[in-house]
Amino acid sequence: MTSTPHNPANTDILVVDDVVVRFETQEGPVIAVDHVSFGVRQGEFLSVIGPSGCGKSTLFNVIGGLIGHTSGVVSVGGETINSPHQSIGMVFREESTFPWRSVTDNVAFPLELIGMPKAQRIERARHFISLVGLDGFENRYPNELSGGMRQRVSLARTLASEPKILLMDEPFAALDEQTRLLLGDKVLQIQQQLKQTTLLITHNITEAVQMSDRILVMTYRPGKVKRIVDIDLPRPRTSEIVGSEAFGRYVAQIWADLREEASRGMRDEEEHALHHVSTT
Amino acid sequence: MADTSRVTPLPASVPVLSPVTLLRLVIILTVLAVWEFLSHSGWLYRDVVPSLLAIGRAMFDLLAHGEYYFNLAVTAGEVGAALAIGGSLGLVVGIVLGANRFLSKAFESYLYYLGPTPKIIFFPIMIMWFGVGPGSKIALGTLSCFFPVALSAAAGMRQIDKVLIRVGNSFRASTAQMVFKIYLPAMRHPIINGVRLGLGVALIGTLLAETKLSNKGIGFLIIQAYSIFDMPRMYAMLIVLFVLSIGANSVVGRLGGLDSIKRS
Ligand SMILES: Nc1ncnc2c1ncn2[C@@H]1O[C@H](COP(=O)(O)OP(=O)(O)O)[C@@H](O)[C@H]1O
Ligand SMILES: [Mg+2]
Repeated sequence: MTSTPHNPANTDILVVDDVVVRFETQEGPVIAVDHVSFGVRQGEFLSVIGPSGCGKSTLFNVIGGLIGHTSGVVSVGGETINSPHQSIGMVFREESTFPWRSVTDNVAFPLELIGMPKAQRIERARHFISLVGLDGFENRYPNELSGGMRQRVSLARTLASEPKILLMDEPFAALDEQTRLLLGDKVLQIQQQLKQTTLLITHNITEAVQMSDRILVMTYRPGKVKRIVDIDLPRPRTSEIVGSEAFGRYVAQIWADLREEASRGMRDEEEHALHHVSTT
Repeated sequence: MADTSRVTPLPASVPVLSPVTLLRLVIILTVLAVWEFLSHSGWLYRDVVPSLLAIGRAMFDLLAHGEYYFNLAVTAGEVGAALAIGGSLGLVVGIVLGANRFLSKAFESYLYYLGPTPKIIFFPIMIMWFGVGPGSKIALGTLSCFFPVALSAAAGMRQIDKVLIRVGNSFRASTAQMVFKIYLPAMRHPIINGVRLGLGVALIGTLLAETKLSNKGIGFLIIQAYSIFDMPRMYAMLIVLFVLSIGANSVVGRLGGLDSIKRS
């Protein structure tokens, strides 16, 4: 098992350097992200895994430029990020297709924003619709599609903006198990095909090990980097790999890290709840 | 929606009338029969309840002369202008209030207080400001339809799925793009509802103003017929107006049903 150092190298396309995010709440400040540093290499698939409440979505929003951070630097290709950057494409956990737009018009949305002529953007949209395997559904509306298909529309929409980095926050979380597996395969296949640099946020260990070149494990609050694990498994990674011994070892290692954090999180929440009961 | 038509096939050719239609027909016929009976009974003052024949003749008369269409155009123009001005003002104010918690706290309760106030009480002021012509009618109609549109838009703005706004921001949409490509389409249902309510009250406001003080428009014709006690003509106008209002409302409803914005 190899662990790379946390410090980002200057060859990294995305750099998160000593980032802190503190929220001021009624119950006092909450540190959601605590001095997190890492880098994402060109073309790699990096997963961030951690127990729920550890600050993954906060990190996602900071990298996407949707919320500010308290200190530290996030930069992409050397440019500091303080607002959404064109090199970063986000896919959200929630249902996020536009219900009033057809599949084509949903996918063409980012192209429409930059003023691409209609014929051209429809052609581009078709390309990405086909890439996510939705041929034949171009003129359908989101309410005529399944949840998994809608999430594929969101993915195609983000890919259509041709981001240097694809940033996803638990994109499969709301889906049932089968859909989740199939969509995971699709994402992996697309990522390999486009050599798309990808940062996936997840809490699913199998998913992370199957897809990633490296996995960053976060601690429970305050969210720090606990470890970064290199996944040395051959590609392409078919479902067969899931049964292999090496795969099992990676899962066990990450689960050991994660269990520690998750149980710390659970204790913390129980105490919090007890505290609430006793004070009210 | 496309799905529903697949689940419940549309009754393409129904040989007999449905029970609802039948009941409606029976009720309408009964009312007409009672009306005709009353008009011939002599129990009421002559002409308060004119015979159906007299009303029919008056309606024919009405629709055969250009004067009616001229006045109809005047009223339609006033209502249209009121809806355009009051509707867009309401939309802008509603969006601003919906987007800004501070402004909403400061001002929205006034909208709730003023909303249900009968706007006709402002008519004297409107006459002083805009004269006795169409200006004061448009002003009153505008005032009437501003409130429902503003309140629906404010509520609609708040119920927009937040993730859609985040999607727009992540693609670096400009403010104008956010408004026209996300906020407005996402609010289409409440806005159409507000415009529907707005049309209704704009119609009421305008006509009421016309009946008070004016020299043209449908409200003026109705009150003129009343003042010379031409009951058949008055009833004919009421019926035509009734039919037109239903038509206008269904046009707005149909606009809301356009394929591109219908999908929910
Ligand atoms: N806007 C906010 N205001 C206050 N606290 C927040 C806010 N967003 C997140 N938090 C807190 O920060 C912590 C991390 O949240 P989040 O990033 O959503 O975790 P995760 O995605 O890993 O489940 C949580 O304790 C959460 O309550
Ligand atoms: Mg989260």
